Amino acid sequence: MSLRGERYQGSGASTSVSAIGVAAHELKSPLVLLRQLSIELSDMSLSQAERQRIADQMKHISERGLRLTSDLTRLESQLELFSVEPVNPLDVVRDVRSELSGLYMAKGRELRVARVRHLPPVIANRDLLRRIVLNFADNALHYSHVDGMVELQAQLLNERSIVRLSVRDYGPYISSKEWRVLSGTLKHVKAAHQRPQSSGLGIYIAHEFASHMNGSIGATRHQNGASFYVDLPVSHQLALV
Amino acid sequence: MNMNVVIVEDDEWLAEHYIRVLKRAGCRVEHAPHAVGAIAVIDKVQPAVILLDMLLTGTTAMALLHELQSHADLASIPVVLITNLAEQIQLDDVEQYGVVRIVNKATMQPDDIVAAVRGAVL
Repeated sequence: MSLRGERYQGSGASTSVSAIGVAAHELKSPLVLLRQLSIELSDMSLSQAERQRIADQMKHISERGLRLTSDLTRLESQLELFSVEPVNPLDVVRDVRSELSGLYMAKGRELRVARVRHLPPVIANRDLLRRIVLNFADNALHYSHVDGMVELQAQLLNERSIVRLSVRDYGPYISSKEWRVLSGTLKHVKAAHQRPQSSGLGIYIAHEFASHMNGSIGATRHQNGASFYVDLPVSHQLALV
Repeated sequence: MNMNVVIVEDDEWLAEHYIRVLKRAGCRVEHAPHAVGAIAVIDKVQPAVILLDMLLTGTTAMALLHELQSHADLASIPVVLITNLAEQIQLDDVEQYGVVRIVNKATMQPDDIVAAVRGAVL
């Protein structure tokens, strides 16, 4: 799933597609790959190890596609059904690491959780928050260097009123032009609701999920990569208890 | 096919697939995952054909095609576009950038990749 807006804007295709078209396009990539690998799997000259490797890849690709369809289903259903409650953000981060560690390993990369001593609970829906971080971490996989590392970070901001969960990749430097496109996508993500072809679908999904929890998403550019983050309000109610 | 091919494809597993197919056909293959790194690889290898994914992450395939055209020694290398957008791109529109074939990712067979590479150097 592409989170960086240039994916559509820079495609050179001057098509006007609907939200369904964007979703269909996003699903096309894993389906194309599955098809190619399944054709390859029928090659009887492959060794057992090669077969196993391709079968593992197909499993991970299917899981990625299923995550996207699950997110789209959540968007289509009433988000109000996803109630908010105090959630331990570190549990979510660990869940994401656990869920994606196999995919990262298969791609020769490492998903690490930065050391954090303690964080207060946030007001969130655990499932939606997990989906946002999963989206970011999945995206980071494509931008990190081969053999590289991606880090899940958590910090307390704004006089302990906000928790920021970030996914830091160590990919190639993002040029100013590319960054302007990405920043524009993040700032005008509402507009993307009407013209989703101008935005990455992942950003749109993350934005919608974060908004439902009174949170927000953003990104920071580094010399060697980028961080995508979600900010969520701290649950003071539980802190008092 | 005794020739050098450079694949510019950001999906590692799809790139691995192309590499297996082309190596089986006798090609020597180098892979660049991003357009930014592709020029250096192309410059080093001086391939007979470039296999280029249209929807790259970061710097786009179009930017890479422009860049290739700006180098006298690289401008003449034939490019095979391999893309999910094959139905939306006309060869006439991209021929000026050295593109000689467009392969549809969604319908291609492994033999199509080999045929496209072979056809590109004819």
